Amino acid sequence: MSHYGTGYGTARRDGSPHASATEYGTDRDYQSTAGYASTASTSTSTSTSTSRPVVSFVNVSKQYGTLKAVDGLSLDLRPGETTALLGPNGAGKSTSLDMLLALRKPTSGKIMMFGSDPYHAVKSGRVGAMLQSGGLMPEVTVRELITLVTTLHPKPEPIDLTLKRAGIDKFADQRVDRLSGGQTQRVRFALAIVGKSELIVLDEPTTAMDVETRRLFWDSMKAEVAEGRTLLFATHYLEEADQAADRILVINRGRLLADGTPAEIKAKAGARRITFHLDQVDEQFLLGLPGLANLEVRRDFVQIQTSDSDATLYAVLDAGLRPRDIEVTGLGLEQAFLAITAEDDAANGSASRGDDLR
Amino acid sequence: MSGTLALAKAEISRLRRNKRYLIFTVALPVMFYLIFGKQKATGYGVAFAAFYMVGMASFGAFSGAFNNNTIRISQERKDGWIRQLRLTPLPANSYVVAKILASMVTTVPSIVIVFLLGRFYGGVQMAAWKWIVCLLAIWIGTLIFAALAVALGYKLDPDSVQPVTIVVFFFFSIFGGLWFPLSGALQKFGEFTPTYQVVKVTTDVIGTGTVALVNVIGIVIWFAIFVVLATWAVRSTAETV
Repeated sequence: MSHYGTGYGTARRDGSPHASATEYGTDRDYQSTAGYASTASTSTSTSTSTSRPVVSFVNVSKQYGTLKAVDGLSLDLRPGETTALLGPNGAGKSTSLDMLLALRKPTSGKIMMFGSDPYHAVKSGRVGAMLQSGGLMPEVTVRELITLVTTLHPKPEPIDLTLKRAGIDKFADQRVDRLSGGQTQRVRFALAIVGKSELIVLDEPTTAMDVETRRLFWDSMKAEVAEGRTLLFATHYLEEADQAADRILVINRGRLLADGTPAEIKAKAGARRITFHLDQVDEQFLLGLPGLANLEVRRDFVQIQTSDSDATLYAVLDAGLRPRDIEVTGLGLEQAFLAITAEDDAANGSASRGDDLR
Repeated sequence: MSGTLALAKAEISRLRRNKRYLIFTVALPVMFYLIFGKQKATGYGVAFAAFYMVGMASFGAFSGAFNNNTIRISQERKDGWIRQLRLTPLPANSYVVAKILASMVTTVPSIVIVFLLGRFYGGVQMAAWKWIVCLLAIWIGTLIFAALAVALGYKLDPDSVQPVTIVVFFFFSIFGGLWFPLSGALQKFGEFTPTYQVVKVTTDVIGTGTVALVNVIGIVIWFAIFVVLATWAVRSTAETV
């Protein structure tokens, strides 16, 4: 079990190594049963309510020289789920996707996909991917390129259907190297869906797309998901994550900070903000308020992020305080995301907060 | 394998549309042969027309396998096409295999065209088997340059690959004696180049009907060196491609 090494630090900080050991124990159980599960159909794996994960990261780290791009990442993707990977630039999103797609090797830890290693999963055609760094073959027409990649897959989508779904049928006979940025992006998307793959991985898919193209893109993506595909996408557009994803993974500094539905992520960051003015602020009292996620005090001005604004406010009033100019505002995913990553950056590399949020 | 062949087929249709490729592999050797091919001289014991025929056929074929591939591979690595292919079920080494296959297929016509020119314009006459052995020798020589192209294409950026390619290719063309027969000190030096081995093997076949073992070994050694270099280049860039 040596590859669980970096997880040990977490266990020590919590002071509860057993809890951690149990958590990893389930991963180990999964791996030992994976061999059986691959021969049985997914519906027969009844030991848990969720079926066998499509993707498992087990304590995965990636080191570039002295920089730890990914740091002890553990997560499972379940079949049929649409998951958004959120994180600021340099958070380790692309490196994580590269490792998932067998383009890079983890320094430590283990990645499983469809019960096999990433390389063999990719080569079996069960994964379709669109990367920011992925390019196209020049000097051929769009149709020629799609036809070529179609023949590389074992059970492909019919070529005309791919062209239509990706919205590239209108310029199928144009040369690939003469397309606009948005058109190129759609061709790259077509390459991700051409194989009728069970898992689709997209890295910043809508970059360089205009608003209309972006809407078309998500419409066709929803059609893919409706057919039971599992989707993992990294994005900068929090609105997209909020609308399209069943589940959001927030990563920062190569670690998983939060994992939940968009609503849960907002709640975890403190979904509402309460501000008011108060004479003689007692910070110790305020810090003990129910639901409190974050507190900022500037002289008589108090700003609270809370997961339960009612309870927080009632507690203030019950204590006999009479704040003035009370304002309660809802936080969007963007603020939640900023709150979560800012908190982590403030903690500067300590893993415990991330684990709390999880 | 069918995927690799499909990719090789696409590569070939790209090459057919590429004007620069056609100029270097067909137009230039043909033009040079028309200008210089009929000199009254000899080279390595055969008529100049015969020497220059294998020289120009090699020049066109090697340039097709080398110049074109170094630049393409380097550019496609930078653009991320190699990366995109790695996300398909295509086996990891297929990209390189398809490139080499495509080069091997497309160089045959360029060799044949110069040979036809040698026969009907330069007046080269010899037994049928000699034509075939010469064609094969140049064709195998092409493999050497395809391997070197893979090594350089994977290691160099598009900006630096162009000048390096030109310098390396002209070095091997001139000092290997593709343009004029070497003699004296120049030959002592040029004897080591892979291009010289190919010219020597083919002119020996034309002149004497025999082949010196040392040149065959030379071809094998150069091929082995460049294959090792190419393998190293591909492996060492695996995480950045």
